[in-house]
Amino acid sequence: MLELGPLAFAQPWLLMALGALPLLWWLLRLTPPAPRRIDFPALRLLTGLRPPEETPARTPPWLVALRLLIAALIILGLAQPLLNPSRPLAGSGPLVLIVDDGWAAARNWPQRRDTINGLIDQAERDGRSLVVLTTAPKGPDSQVAASDPLNPAAARRLLQGLAPQPWPVDRRAALAALEAVTLEASAPVVWLSDGLNHGESEADLRDFMARLRAIGPVRVYQDEPLRLARRLGTPQLDAGSVGVEVERASSEGEDLAVVRALAEDGRLLGRAEARFAPGEARSSVRFELPTELRNEIARLKIEAEETAAAVFLIDERWRRRPVGLVAAGPLALRPLLGEVYYLERALAPYTEVQKGSVGELLRQGVAVLTLADAGRLPAEEAEALSLWIEQGGTLLRFAGPRMAQQGDDALLPVRLRLGDRTLSGAMTWSRPAKLAPFHRGSPFAGLDLPEDVVVERQVLAEPALDLPEKTWARLEDGTPLVTAERRGEGWLVLIHTSANTDWSNLALSGLFIEMLRKIVAVSQGVANVTADEALPPLEALDGFGLLGRPPATAVALDAETIEAGRIDARHPPGIYGRDSLRRAYNLADQVGPLAGLGPSIDGQAVQSFAGRSETVLLPWLLAAALVLALLDMFIALALRGLLIPARLGRGAAVLLLGAAAGLLAGAPAEAQDGDDAFALKATTDTRLAYVRTGIPAVDEVSHAGLTGLSRVLNRRTAVEAAEPVGVRLGRDELAFFPLLYWPVTREQRALDSAAAAAVNAFLKNGGTILFDLRRPEAAAQVLGQPSTALQTLTRDIQVPALIPVSPDHVLTKAFYLMQDFPGRYAGGTLWIESAEGRVNDGVSSVMIGANDWAGAWAIDEQGRPLFPAVPGGERQREMAYRFGVNLVMYALTGNYKTDQVHVPYILERLGQ
Amino acid sequence: MLQRALRRRQRAEALAANLPPLLVEAERVAATVAQGVHGRRRVGQGETFWQFRHYEPGDQPQLIDWRQSAKSDQVFVRELEWEAAQSVWLWCDTSASMDWTSGDDHGSKRRRAELLTLALMVLLVRGGERVALLGSGQPPATGRGTVTRMALQLEHLEANDSSLPPGQVLPRFAQVVMLSDFLAPLGDIDRSVRRLAESGVRGHLIQILDPAEESLPYEGRVLFQGLEGEDPWLLSRTESVRGDYQNRLQRQFDGLDAIARSIGWTYTRHRSDTSAQAVLLTLYAALTANQAL
Repeated sequence: MLELGPLAFAQPWLLMALGALPLLWWLLRLTPPAPRRIDFPALRLLTGLRPPEETPARTPPWLVALRLLIAALIILGLAQPLLNPSRPLAGSGPLVLIVDDGWAAARNWPQRRDTINGLIDQAERDGRSLVVLTTAPKGPDSQVAASDPLNPAAARRLLQGLAPQPWPVDRRAALAALEAVTLEASAPVVWLSDGLNHGESEADLRDFMARLRAIGPVRVYQDEPLRLARRLGTPQLDAGSVGVEVERASSEGEDLAVVRALAEDGRLLGRAEARFAPGEARSSVRFELPTELRNEIARLKIEAEETAAAVFLIDERWRRRPVGLVAAGPLALRPLLGEVYYLERALAPYTEVQKGSVGELLRQGVAVLTLADAGRLPAEEAEALSLWIEQGGTLLRFAGPRMAQQGDDALLPVRLRLGDRTLSGAMTWSRPAKLAPFHRGSPFAGLDLPEDVVVERQVLAEPALDLPEKTWARLEDGTPLVTAERRGEGWLVLIHTSANTDWSNLALSGLFIEMLRKIVAVSQGVANVTADEALPPLEALDGFGLLGRPPATAVALDAETIEAGRIDARHPPGIYGRDSLRRAYNLADQVGPLAGLGPSIDGQAVQSFAGRSETVLLPWLLAAALVLALLDMFIALALRGLLIPARLGRGAAVLLLGAAAGLLAGAPAEAQDGDDAFALKATTDTRLAYVRTGIPAVDEVSHAGLTGLSRVLNRRTAVEAAEPVGVRLGRDELAFFPLLYWPVTREQRALDSAAAAAVNAFLKNGGTILFDLRRPEAAAQVLGQPSTALQTLTRDIQVPALIPVSPDHVLTKAFYLMQDFPGRYAGGTLWIESAEGRVNDGVSSVMIGANDWAGAWAIDEQGRPLFPAVPGGERQREMAYRFGVNLVMYALTGNYKTDQVHVPYILERLGQ
Repeated sequence: MLQRALRRRQRAEALAANLPPLLVEAERVAATVAQGVHGRRRVGQGETFWQFRHYEPGDQPQLIDWRQSAKSDQVFVRELEWEAAQSVWLWCDTSASMDWTSGDDHGSKRRRAELLTLALMVLLVRGGERVALLGSGQPPATGRGTVTRMALQLEHLEANDSSLPPGQVLPRFAQVVMLSDFLAPLGDIDRSVRRLAESGVRGHLIQILDPAEESLPYEGRVLFQGLEGEDPWLLSRTESVRGDYQNRLQRQFDGLDAIARSIGWTYTRHRSDTSAQAVLLTLYAALTANQAL
């Protein structure tokens, strides 16, 4: 290692090669530039001519200098220069590298990785081996162990795969692991700490440092205070908002954490800023969200912080508001009149509804309990309810005849008068009362009042001083309709009319549903009962706070683990349970209060990761040499006159594009281009297609034949066919072609599986294939005789049952009226699919004949037929063309000409 | 491909449109100069009435002259006089050396040669003459379709190594127009054209050269490579041999002129960056000059 101020050379002896540069100068000077090469037709006249004298051509000096510069750059680069070389490693033993890879290391992971790579590079240059110790417990046994001494390459491989774990580090276990390491020489120790004190005491840390110092000189890295990991607290649900606390490890300086509330699909539901004043370690944010949105929150996350504790997964415990309906009493037996029926219909769409007795419902845990005209409750039930309300339950009661008969009840928000008030009826003058608009401050504020809701009977509250405060809704005359009282953590709500239609038509209106939803929204959620069963892992957070598949080490979560708050490789943070019961298990819940290690540990100075890092100049020097070499190439071209300025731009563009395409895409792009070109060619025009048999003579005839047919189609019909294409089965996409002409020869090989699959797909999706046996005598072999070429070819193709074309088939009248289908030869039978009309618009997917149609259609480039038609001459050729037109029309238009079959009958019916 | 041939034909037609239909003088039947159509006094294909005869089975119904047939009970067929026209054989050099140009502003020599060939063909066909491409193996033909067909054939003539026409035997009194760069050794050219001239064929040589071949504009160290497999030639200072080169070229011109004169043919030089019309006019003059004989 040779050091020159901020520059150092790792391989200084290579610099001696610079001495060879003058030799290079002399060599380059001597070689003349290569001549330009010019094609010249009148070369015969030039040959033998010689210029009068031959002066030696020399490379210009500046070009030689450029080439020397390139050589010098390469030599300097290979000497491995380093800018800002880092401190050399102390001691002589292996480098002991201790990496904290717990959750808190994830926030600055890239910096850590750079530091690790720098240290490995240094160890590599110094020829040291490495002992690596990662302090987060790993594996199913949660163990921490130091590696054997590794060579730098192996250490690099090991540490490349290192990622932060979503649980804390275990320094005690690390200490134990270090005790097991025995090194003979004094070894440099580097500890990349995560800067957090994971519940260890001062003494623990001192022990740890002492052990490190016993190995050799220690260097400790740690994040800057503002870059230490933070964590989210447990979210708290209030009536209308979600509050969450953010905690940081150091209370120095100002800081800002932005918390996002995200839905299951990653949608942003809310965003709130938590500001930390200097000296404060905690700050809280609050999301004011409508109930529906609040229930959608799937996780809270600190923005731009990728650690497992910066994510808080929300499960049903934070959103469940089950409503219990006490379904007891005689009215519950009258399904359509019972109050429970109306309540259930109103609540079920929005909330989870459970029915049962008071005792059962309280045991199951509900957020809201509705009691419809219950009368007096048994004493023990009343007591249980009262306790439950104190703890946060919401009791919703409805009035009714029974309540009206009973005066005093502890579970009422207001004192009631005995008896009820009747507002309409045969014997009263007054009219049913309507509702007054909801006043501001009532939970119902903002709800629309339907005109037709009237209350005919109600129970009345005794006037009291606090009655207006307790009232949530009134009638037009000012008497309370809904009253509520806060008791402890919970609410007691009374609707002063019945839950069914006996006293009011409120239960029939949309307002009823809205009011119930508001009341439910006011209530607190319920804490989920701890399941007795073990919950299997569904999804797990990784060290960067991303949800993914649980690792193989993860096992089911049981109540005991939850109680202990243990998070390790067996129980990573994440979501556990089944589809119906999802339990979030959060790291943020389980890590205790955060505390930093402080600026120095046991007197040991700490350095931050963001130090000046050494820069390896090798790639830069080589890149510069490459650029100069390219420049040299252009100059050489220019000197030889091969670089014309007009072409320069184009050439450079082509070069760049080529390089970019070559780098980015490579060979697959080429194939892609080919496919695209074929697809474009096949789809921009209607084209007839033939199967390429691989036998040039046959393929040429097919091509010429379809060209002739295309020409006839263009001339006579609305089909505008472009030049036909040949397709290679299994390699080209067939879906673009309605009709495929397939000449069958003895020489063709049987189809491979890809080709057979492609042909089957083509037939299944509505394609038509015309098999042409091309020899009349072959037609006899279609039926019966085995091992013909056709049968070999179509062995893997699903050919349906075939029949000869019937005289009234569409093929006989798709464009021209014709009864037989001659090609180059006449008289053969054309076979088509028998089960027509059901699929493909009645178009037969397979047609087989032997008349060599392509031969009859084939024309040369000047439009002259290539082969004679036997025996019928030009008339037969014309009929062959007509068959071709009919065939294409049949393939393109399907069976619409079939209707012509019915024309005689239609005409007969019309009486003509 | 057909499109390209058509485009080429259109350009040739546009070029030929400015000259009156070219009528090649028929030497053999000098007296019957009826629009270049030379009656054979025999039944055959033509336009002039020759005779009526009775309809026989096998005749095409279109040939029946209904007016004549209506005059009697017989059905008559109209027969026409067989008319023959002078045949002109065009030869266009397709060797690799023709497919070369020194710059972007003008096309290759072969392109120019093909253009001239087609323009000439258009003129000849318009004059009723029968034309053919020498070396294509097709007999002479006339009619507008011929030009299209010949244009296609011209397209298909593959580059061959021979810079000289094939030794095909031509009918007597045919005319030959040869378009080439005529850079082959003079002896070879002489042998090849003399063989044709000896069979009584009259001809015209049009030498098409690229401007760079005349001026040799290159400078410095240049390795010249041939297009037909010749050995390359390295010149360290090209500009110093320019005078010698041009002398050699001039000797080639003079030799060609001498050959043409000795067998009674014409010789025209044309540079591929000049107007094609000028050389067509010269050629027109050369072909019609025979009319005076």
